[in-house]
Amino acid sequence: MPNFDQQPPAGGGAPTPQGRGGAPGGAPPAGGRGAAPAGGAAPQGRGAAPPAPPSALALKYPWPAKPVLLGTRVKRIDGPDKVTGRAKYTHDINRPGMLYGRIIRSPLPHARIVSIDLSAALKAPGVKAAYNVKEPGAQVMYQGDTVAAVAADTEERTKDAARLVKVEYEALPHFANEEQAMDPDAPVVFMGGNTRPGTAQDVGDIEAGFKQSAHIIEATYYTHVITHVCLESHSIVAEWEGDKLTAWCSTQGVFPSQQGLAMGLGIPAANVRVITQYMGGGFGSKLQAGAEAVIGAKLSQMAKLPVKLTLDRKEEHLDTGNRPSAGAKVKAGVTADGTLTSYQADSWGTGGAGQGVGNLPIPYIYTFPNRKRTHKDVYINSGTQRPMRAPGHPQACFLTEVLMDELADRVKMDPVEFRIKNAPVQVPSAMYRTYLPEGAKLFGWDKRHATGDPTPGPIKTGFGVSVHTWGGGGSGTQAHCDIMADGTVVMKCGTQDIGTGTRTIVALVTAETLGLPITAVRAEIGDTNYPRSGGSGGSTTAPSAMPAIRLTAAKALEALFVKVAPTLGVSADTLVATNGRIHVKDDPTKGVTWKDACKTLGADTISVDHMWEAGLSSVNSSGAQFTEVAVDIETGIVKVKRILAIQDCGLVVDRLTCESQIYGGVISSMNFALYEDRILDRVTGQMVNPNMEMYLLAGMSDIPKIDIILKDMPERGVVGVGEPPTVSLSAAIANAVRNATGAAIRSLPLHPHKILAAIEQQKAGGTL
Amino acid sequence: MKAFAYVNPANEKEAVAALRDAGVAMPIGGGQDILARMKDYITAPDRLVNIKNALDATITPVAGGLRIGAAVKIVDLAENAQVSRLYPNISAAAIEVGTPQIRNQGTVGGNINQRPRCWYFKNEEFLCYKKGGNRCFAPAGENQYHAIFGNDGPSHIVHPSSLAVPFLAYGAKFRVVSASGEREVAAANFFTLPTLQNVLKENVLADDELLTHVILPAPGTARHGHYEVRYKESHDWPLAFATVILKMSGQTISSASVVLGAVAPIPWRSEEAERALVGKTLSEATAAAAGEAAVRGAAPLSRNGYKVQVTKTAVKRAVMRAAGLRTV
Amino acid sequence: MASKDEKPDKPERFSVSRRDFLKSAGVTGIAAGVVGGAAELDAQTGAAARVLGPGDVPVQLTVNGRRIDLRIEPRVTLLDAMRQRADLTGNKRVCDRGTCGACTMIVDGRSVYSCSTLAIEVQGKQVRTVEGLVSANGTMHPVQQAFCDQDAMMCGFCTPGFVMATVALLEKNRNPTEAQVRKGLDGNICRCGTFVRVLEAAMKSRGVARA
Repeated sequence: MPNFDQQPPAGGGAPTPQGRGGAPGGAPPAGGRGAAPAGGAAPQGRGAAPPAPPSALALKYPWPAKPVLLGTRVKRIDGPDKVTGRAKYTHDINRPGMLYGRIIRSPLPHARIVSIDLSAALKAPGVKAAYNVKEPGAQVMYQGDTVAAVAADTEERTKDAARLVKVEYEALPHFANEEQAMDPDAPVVFMGGNTRPGTAQDVGDIEAGFKQSAHIIEATYYTHVITHVCLESHSIVAEWEGDKLTAWCSTQGVFPSQQGLAMGLGIPAANVRVITQYMGGGFGSKLQAGAEAVIGAKLSQMAKLPVKLTLDRKEEHLDTGNRPSAGAKVKAGVTADGTLTSYQADSWGTGGAGQGVGNLPIPYIYTFPNRKRTHKDVYINSGTQRPMRAPGHPQACFLTEVLMDELADRVKMDPVEFRIKNAPVQVPSAMYRTYLPEGAKLFGWDKRHATGDPTPGPIKTGFGVSVHTWGGGGSGTQAHCDIMADGTVVMKCGTQDIGTGTRTIVALVTAETLGLPITAVRAEIGDTNYPRSGGSGGSTTAPSAMPAIRLTAAKALEALFVKVAPTLGVSADTLVATNGRIHVKDDPTKGVTWKDACKTLGADTISVDHMWEAGLSSVNSSGAQFTEVAVDIETGIVKVKRILAIQDCGLVVDRLTCESQIYGGVISSMNFALYEDRILDRVTGQMVNPNMEMYLLAGMSDIPKIDIILKDMPERGVVGVGEPPTVSLSAAIANAVRNATGAAIRSLPLHPHKILAAIEQQKAGGTL
Repeated sequence: MKAFAYVNPANEKEAVAALRDAGVAMPIGGGQDILARMKDYITAPDRLVNIKNALDATITPVAGGLRIGAAVKIVDLAENAQVSRLYPNISAAAIEVGTPQIRNQGTVGGNINQRPRCWYFKNEEFLCYKKGGNRCFAPAGENQYHAIFGNDGPSHIVHPSSLAVPFLAYGAKFRVVSASGEREVAAANFFTLPTLQNVLKENVLADDELLTHVILPAPGTARHGHYEVRYKESHDWPLAFATVILKMSGQTISSASVVLGAVAPIPWRSEEAERALVGKTLSEATAAAAGEAAVRGAAPLSRNGYKVQVTKTAVKRAVMRAAGLRTV
Repeated sequence: MASKDEKPDKPERFSVSRRDFLKSAGVTGIAAGVVGGAAELDAQTGAAARVLGPGDVPVQLTVNGRRIDLRIEPRVTLLDAMRQRADLTGNKRVCDRGTCGACTMIVDGRSVYSCSTLAIEVQGKQVRTVEGLVSANGTMHPVQQAFCDQDAMMCGFCTPGFVMATVALLEKNRNPTEAQVRKGLDGNICRCGTFVRVLEAAMKSRGVARA
């Protein structure tokens, strides 16, 4: 059972604490306040556990004070493979005799399977295997739910055969949205009820807080469902040799996928090897082996031939996860001097069939001394949620940060000033009190006008701001380093590169530690034959893997020093490795080149295993984002003009790839705010936009100017940065739209129809 | 995609012959629309007839106007100097079609004859009128991109062609051939409002007919304005757009052609807007009045009322562009 | 429009032996490595309106200057022909409906969505995939180099398509403005959000002669 509420204690805990949603059939616990992520919790004594003390080895090999490579702009080492097409993703693996698999899926959102007839499909040309994934009598709970599977010798013939599978369904009642599911007169579609109460909360004295308040806002806020849209669809190439399976999987976790495949196939995990050399995007939806992986492996087992099963774009939208919706009916108060008092929220959200919203840390970050919450997980007949880039945070951030601007207006305070006033006093790494003024200055916040752009004409501009936090951290990664007599260095680690640059930073940290250029190191990752690492989720990869790489390389180097020291007539502990040489620390002339040093190994290879230890990484990351938008009040179109993202990222490993992640996070948040929307037909419950044409994503002409300020904090060690920057821009955009138009914008996406309606409402007297 | 036979005729005659003697035969131009539909099992021809080698791919001056072959690529239309000189609204529409890749591959004929982008039509699960079913899912469903004019039903699609709108505004005729001969159909008579009888198509083209040319009359001296409202600036379908051609008598508008796109099952000529323009001088007020007039007869569905405002703005700004005024 | 009998300069026979998966019994088109003579092809693509398919037919392509002979059904797209029958897997299949641009190839000098192009329809045309950009001595195309230098990629799945779209754009217009670059790359989608650096890479590649 996933538990989104738990953040890893510093230097401990599971590698992907936020990451592992989507357990079939079970809704994640709902509604509880996040601990570390909701920074506001800290003053109440619920913050992250204090960091574990650094280990002795970490103290011996701290991150270098004067690094050569760390923190510089190191080009992605696999860049040339990616730009030339040489990089082989799961989609690109072609094996001798390989078949193509396909899943037959329910077209209906809820039905009982009456019969499945595979006979015509089995007789079709080229078909080598077919089976029922579900048996007659079973229910399908959403459009796209798996029913049967088939494999044939070409993809075209596989698709033909899939069309020949005859499935009879008995349609059952369904819910296409939360309103339908929450209707008290609705039929019971989900066993145990269509909704499930989440954790309630009652802290302080909510009514006393409202009594102190000079202003109270009562309003409803909502964020919608979006899907991950990984460009490489979920996929597997499965090949058996006897009872052993080799699976090329498009996954964020080779080890979790190994476990999932073993469990799904009922075979020992030791019989499964998972390989992921390159992976075309996951964003949380590929943390485990999905149904398609097990189905592909089963088809291969049946046909005794390799099988490639790649989902098509429609299947991706329907059945590979989504970001749950989140709504909250909120009542919040503020005193005349701008101090937050009470926050009361009845929240809900859906993560599809039998799944809720999980973690929803509201109120986000800010300190409301009195809080009262109820929560309802709502089940609808859609594909089930999976973690998506900082699960719960984009929703909670929007629900809170839009309210914050409205409250600031009530007390006639500047939104930045209001945030600083109400930011938690002391939260690990949450440097809002410095980020906000610094960002405001850089952004030219003093040019912000009060709510409602007074400029004549249809184009209104506005500024918005929002802040975010994330836990991250990670531990447990193991690594193996070989130093060979010819000077070769290989660092092996069973982590994977989901696009963040993991392969590059594995090589970078190894090279830094050994005093070598990055080109002298081979980084081998993405294979369960390498030492264990966790899934790449929750922004845990770098903080979990980099200490392991550092210490493993350091141990290997120690072993080399022992070999080299006698030849120099010194003791091993006087040696250092810099600039391609091993030499006495205080006498650089007394040493040998790396090559010559390795020659002392003779027939030996230095072969060292080591793992993560505390002291080189930490948890918690925070940031603030500012934006300026232009709203065309005659069409309702919002254009983002510029963005400033201030991001804390601890020790920067590779500045180039770190910045890329921040750009990417910001753009992802813009897509959430403006374009993306999974739209289910309210009557039939079927998705109307399961493609990339009507499921809108920003293109080049939609991308504004984006400035990044990286807050280097090398003393904190490595923290992950994949998720935090995706959190807050959407709320900042909504706040900017409100600043531009004066109209209350309380839900996403910011579709023109919503903007025009809000402007109309505002003209008619407004809600503010 | 169902397997199909492929024919690559060399000329019009062979092409129309190839369209006749098969079960279900369909022409393929750039192919981007039909192949997507075939992959989604919306369309399942037994035979595809490649018309790119059979039809004219040139733009030729004729009688002060232009004759545009149906096989002309949209990029070549967009970048043609004669087109932009004589018919700037066509250039403006063409350069906004799809993406560079779509414009490189898509043809003029294909753009005119492409099938609706309606998401109910484009998804197999929804057996709508246009797929031989007995309902339109839009009125009770997700109709934010559907029609606000011509909404008597039974279908509530918006016509997908961007080029059809200025073609109609410039008084184009379409040359159509079949095995039994050829005919010319005015663009104004080519597109059909849906009825229960014709709802499977969006125009008068018979299954064995091919649109071969767009024939544009001499434009005369005119002012031109085209304005598309898009949600995304990158690849996206306009929410609504307007093309406006004004003929002037001194400072006064003597005649106006106003055609709206993405608002009705056909390119939608707005006689109300035209009437609001004729006899007026060019000004922002005139433009605004034309916008108001254009949407007076709008009949939006449950969720696309905002398109009335969007359309009004598109008309106003198209007129302002024609007048040489700054739009935003 | 390119004439159908246009032959590539010095077509190089596709080397089957390099690609062991091609020996696979399961993939229909593979045998094509050795069938489909030029005479036969000319007969098919010539003036006669011959009906081809729906079963496998010989299809002869010129890809990156080399001749590739396939036996495939007319319904096979150019993208699938390359990825599944010629092991040219650089260009990716993402939306498969002509929207995302990951499949972008250059056909007779123009960028196209190869997922929405039938392989049979590009016979006689010059097809370039991302693999074809690297010069014979292994040097990357300046656009590829610029993508590496600017870190204009993350997961990399959109990258080959973006590279091809950028090359096509710059071959058409050596010195585009930023607005022209943006519009020229509007046919490609990146989900990781690399646009800022793709734009930088494209702008840095302006005016750079082909390697």
